[in-house]
Amino acid sequence: MKDIDFNRDKDLARDFLSNFADANGEPKYMKILYKDLDEEFLGRVTENTRRYIGIFADAIDELIPEPTEAFPDDDHDILMTQRSEEGTENTDGADPRQRMPPEIKRFYEVYIRASSKGRPSTIREVKATYIGQLVRISGIVTRCSDVKPLMQVAVYTCEECGFEIYQAKIQELAEHVPKGHIPRTMTVHCRGELTRKVAPGDVVELSGIFLPIPYTGFRAMRAGLVADTYFRIKGLHGIVNVRTVLYELKGDEEEQIARLAEEGDIYNKLAQSLAPEIFGHEDIKKALLLLLVGAPHRKLKDGMKIRGDLHICLMGDPGVAKSQLLKHIINVAPRGVYTTGKGSSGVGLTAAVQKDPVTNEMVLEGGALVLADMGICAIDEFDKMDESDRTSIHEVMEQQTVGIAKAGITTSLNARTAVLAVANPACGRYDLRRTPAENINLPPALLSRFDILWLILDRADMDSDLEMARHVVYVHQNTESPSLGFTPLEPSVLRAYISAARKLSPSIPKELEEYIASAYSGIRQDEAKSNSPHSYTTVRTLLSILRISAALARLRFSDTVAQSDVDEVLRLMQMSKFSLYSEDRQRSGLDAISDIYSILRGEAARTNKMDVSCAHALNWISRKKTEMELKAVARSPQSGSDTLLGCLRKMGKFTPEKHGTFVFHGIEELLDEGCADKNILSDCLTWMCSGHGYSEAQLKERLEEYAALNVWQIHPNTFDIRFIDA
Amino acid sequence: MVGMPYDLLANPLGAVRLTFQKAVDSGHSGAATLDGRDWGAADLFRQFLFNDGGLSQVPILNAASVRTIPPNSLVRFRGMIQDMLGNEFYVGAYKDAGRWRTNKFTDVSQVPMDLSSDKRVWERRLLYCVPVPWLNSWTEPSSEVLLNRCASSTSPQTEKRQRDDDEIIDHMDTEVLDHAFQGSPPAKKMRGGHPSLSSHAHECMAEGTCSSTSMVPDFESSSLPCLVKIYDSAEDDLKLNDIFEFIGVLTFDPEATAADKGDSDELENRFCEEESVHLPPSKVPRLHCLEHRKLGVHDFLSIAPVVEPKPNQVKDIRETLLGHLTAVLGNDGLAAEFMLLHLLSKVHARVDTLAVGKLSLNLTCFNKENAYVFGNSLNLAVKNLLPITHSIPLSVDYLNTSTLAPRKDYETNRLMSGVLQLAEGSHLTIDETHIQAGTLTSVGVENTRLLKNLIELQKVEYDFKYYKMEMTTDVQLLVLSEGKSNIFPADIVLPLRPSSVGSTEMLDSEALKAWRWYLASLRSLPHTIEPQMQKVVEDDMVAARQANRTLGSQDFSRWLTMGRLMSVSFGETCLSLKHWQMVKELERLRMERLQ
Repeated sequence: MKDIDFNRDKDLARDFLSNFADANGEPKYMKILYKDLDEEFLGRVTENTRRYIGIFADAIDELIPEPTEAFPDDDHDILMTQRSEEGTENTDGADPRQRMPPEIKRFYEVYIRASSKGRPSTIREVKATYIGQLVRISGIVTRCSDVKPLMQVAVYTCEECGFEIYQAKIQELAEHVPKGHIPRTMTVHCRGELTRKVAPGDVVELSGIFLPIPYTGFRAMRAGLVADTYFRIKGLHGIVNVRTVLYELKGDEEEQIARLAEEGDIYNKLAQSLAPEIFGHEDIKKALLLLLVGAPHRKLKDGMKIRGDLHICLMGDPGVAKSQLLKHIINVAPRGVYTTGKGSSGVGLTAAVQKDPVTNEMVLEGGALVLADMGICAIDEFDKMDESDRTSIHEVMEQQTVGIAKAGITTSLNARTAVLAVANPACGRYDLRRTPAENINLPPALLSRFDILWLILDRADMDSDLEMARHVVYVHQNTESPSLGFTPLEPSVLRAYISAARKLSPSIPKELEEYIASAYSGIRQDEAKSNSPHSYTTVRTLLSILRISAALARLRFSDTVAQSDVDEVLRLMQMSKFSLYSEDRQRSGLDAISDIYSILRGEAARTNKMDVSCAHALNWISRKKTEMELKAVARSPQSGSDTLLGCLRKMGKFTPEKHGTFVFHGIEELLDEGCADKNILSDCLTWMCSGHGYSEAQLKERLEEYAALNVWQIHPNTFDIRFIDA
Repeated sequence: MVGMPYDLLANPLGAVRLTFQKAVDSGHSGAATLDGRDWGAADLFRQFLFNDGGLSQVPILNAASVRTIPPNSLVRFRGMIQDMLGNEFYVGAYKDAGRWRTNKFTDVSQVPMDLSSDKRVWERRLLYCVPVPWLNSWTEPSSEVLLNRCASSTSPQTEKRQRDDDEIIDHMDTEVLDHAFQGSPPAKKMRGGHPSLSSHAHECMAEGTCSSTSMVPDFESSSLPCLVKIYDSAEDDLKLNDIFEFIGVLTFDPEATAADKGDSDELENRFCEEESVHLPPSKVPRLHCLEHRKLGVHDFLSIAPVVEPKPNQVKDIRETLLGHLTAVLGNDGLAAEFMLLHLLSKVHARVDTLAVGKLSLNLTCFNKENAYVFGNSLNLAVKNLLPITHSIPLSVDYLNTSTLAPRKDYETNRLMSGVLQLAEGSHLTIDETHIQAGTLTSVGVENTRLLKNLIELQKVEYDFKYYKMEMTTDVQLLVLSEGKSNIFPADIVLPLRPSSVGSTEMLDSEALKAWRWYLASLRSLPHTIEPQMQKVVEDDMVAARQANRTLGSQDFSRWLTMGRLMSVSFGETCLSLKHWQMVKELERLRMERLQ
């Protein structure tokens, strides 16, 4: 082992102490630590910290001038005077053990903190080789002892000189525990200033020295080989109760982000990496990415605030991975809270006044939305929210505060949070023939507060079914998820990128204002023209456009919004509308069944009749369908002349079954519209039962399916249908 | 054991020290180079145990044999890792009169240590292991055989033992064993040994909880926990709830208890949670592990068939087993088929949140009258067939009062076991037929949620107070209920249609052995689906979904699992069209019954 000259190091320490402040009194710690002090010295301090604390203390002792004046009322000083007098009597012997220990005279405490660079170690990583070293660890406090006096120096002539000691038990954070293991715990000792700083439940980051406790007395004889260890805290880096708000970039992340930004196409890349295991849904992921990024908050001169957070609502059939998307977003978000509409605790979504069980005081406890301040609040089962929460969520979503007037407490809490809501359809499955408002059990006033509404449907098409079957088979065959065809970015990189992007506050250049205004008025015009205005384009929509384009600019690390950003916003909004309204979907040629529905509806509207005869409808459908199929084939990029021919041939002779299917769907729509009467229905029934594809049993089944949704009631014998008014 | 300077069975530490001396002498820098690594001792034992057939000579440590096995001898312990106590730092090597000595694999140093001398601090991991919960008694080799074996193996070696070893044995014989292991059954004693634990148990008793809240559930067999100290092994090898066989040095230090008790009021002990306080060495033996191996379900078949049955025999065994199950289920052939697949199921992999390979079964249509008959005979049958089985008679009261999830007790710094802390490959029957309408308390709701998660995800949340941690499990779940269980959504719901009253057939022990072997071995067979077959399967699925929109990926997943289990049940590793069609037929018949 290399001999270390402790005296020389003491000089170094003294030099450091007297010179660390420059002439202006400003600390130049960093410079000195990394330049003036040689690294070896730094290494020695981190490896043998306890010793060096002593060395530093000695150096300080030498530097501090003797007190020029004694304060007579100070107990400590009186004791000191007495001691030093006694001390001088005994100093004849040169025995150092006879000298008064310097610890008694000290009015200061020496702390050496570990460098806050780099990742703190987990408790699991602290091994035998770390003994005596300065380590930084993170964990959650599980137990705390009372503060007890600790005898540091015992002098025969005098009672003990007390320091305070505070023991705490810390445990590994859940995310640091490897699968199939139990979290490790560690005892930590706090002394002096650091006592009583932590309480159970706190997530802490500490630096200190990892030390063995020497056993003494009888125990040492028996269990001499086992050493208890503890962690002597020398610095408290931070106490947090929830996830940290501000994300600090670590190490090479800055570089990584810069590289990513340079590579371009960052919008797609990041969106793809959100929940990579969930197949497809590219546009939804893009919208969610923008939600994560958000736009800057604006405060107008008159004090009005305009929120920058985006709100998104996802709706859709059960089992389309909505909740997984949600949970993934929360994982990626620098700060996120996941909750369900019902809320897991009594506090609910907003806030509650509760009685503290210990002190009996009334305390204000923030709900999920308050906890997610400056972050994202993901609310699953949004439609099943409590009535009280539903009223206050209006305020949260627009004013971004929670008002409380309960039990004598009147206050307003900040809830500057982006709301990501997920709602299930009112009747279990989404019914395409109804409006979104009917499908979602939410008032339009609340829906209009969402910047983007998105409907995820479980569509009955062969391709997606095959995709699903393939996926399941692959999972069973290879016991892993199929490869994605690209390497998704790590959540940590995503988080870092998003945090970096959030720091920007892009503005909209003058020349774009006109463009946005005309786009907005265009949407308004379209809506006015449409005879069934089921979307609500309001000023809120305009604000949404501005917000989302700002978020897009942030993603590009740009200070100004570009026209391409606005175009992308309009496209996203268009897509979200397509997902919502069947009429639009028909225009985009997405779904055959909805096509037929709109054909029939259009026909009924055109002839201004509520009754559409079965034969008539069939005629219409076959004609329209032919056109549409042709169009579809022509549109599809892979179509060669072969497919076109095959298609024509197919259309030339409709099989009865095919007719049956079409007509059946057509009738369903008519029934939905409430424009079919019993006569038509029985006509159809006989028509279909006479060998046109559907068996009576099948039809019954379908009718009953609707009955189950409380759309109508069916008479068990005659098939009479009675509509239930909602 | 010719050529060995030390008897590895009776004096393993001698061999440890000898190899240590050799290693230190050959190196130049003393013991520092041996930090955190093996110096050949483990190799020596590995060679002895597995290549020279020494394993069978090593006595098994259990409540009965702990009295007769001398300390500091080689033992093996089969158990489940119930808790992990973290690392222990110890003086691994120290200099005594200029000579390096080691303390590895022991609790007490060979010669008194000079504290100021040169020493190396090493670490070891502490695992608290308990006998496998709910292990059926038929898996244990009869204790008589074991005792004889152990007596015969130890007696001739007594003379060879060194003096200090003898001393310790004397202590053992006179003091510890007498006062620690007389009278009451071991499980009770153990609880009595933990002051805080027993008080906890009392509290729960007052609330009407069953005794399973104590550290270790009551086993049929005697239960002796063991504190295993692991050296130089990768952390990932040993996971919570894994079943292992640990082979190592048994130490038993009676005096340490007394010392610790006297000390516990001192300042150092403020948290009172050192394992020595709660797990006194007089109650919990220490095992310094030299070698460990993971055990599977098949390792618990006491007498494995000498020759493994040939493929054609597998078919025969399947036939007879199916016959047996049919008889047990009142001549319901379909239920027996599903039961067979269920008993072969096993979680093969986890993909995202999906546990691939699980097949929980919910048999419905049990009513008050037949629940007793069929429930009991079914329980008995499962118990006879599988090594680790447990049955929960579910009631509102049970849900409200029992501790299902393990919970961390920060007072003692221990993980308190719960009913759902189960070893891999356990079988759990939830008997819902006794349940009455009632109100669930918050505990009840939590317990219900836990059971639901177990069934759906094969995961149990362990309560660490400040956060919860999900632990994966692999448990076969059978739910017996009157109607379809809405609380516990099983993969397969099947109404039982018995046509006769339960069977009273006598079980042929040879057949029983064959069945046990069949269920234990076949379930881990590999399985593939050829590309051709994949196509068929995919097409079938798409067609099914086109016809019935309510089918989802869960149903597809279930079919594939059944396909796998079906081919595995015939001892085949590749899905054939025939077996796939059998699966589809089974599902069709099941759907018919459900209507």
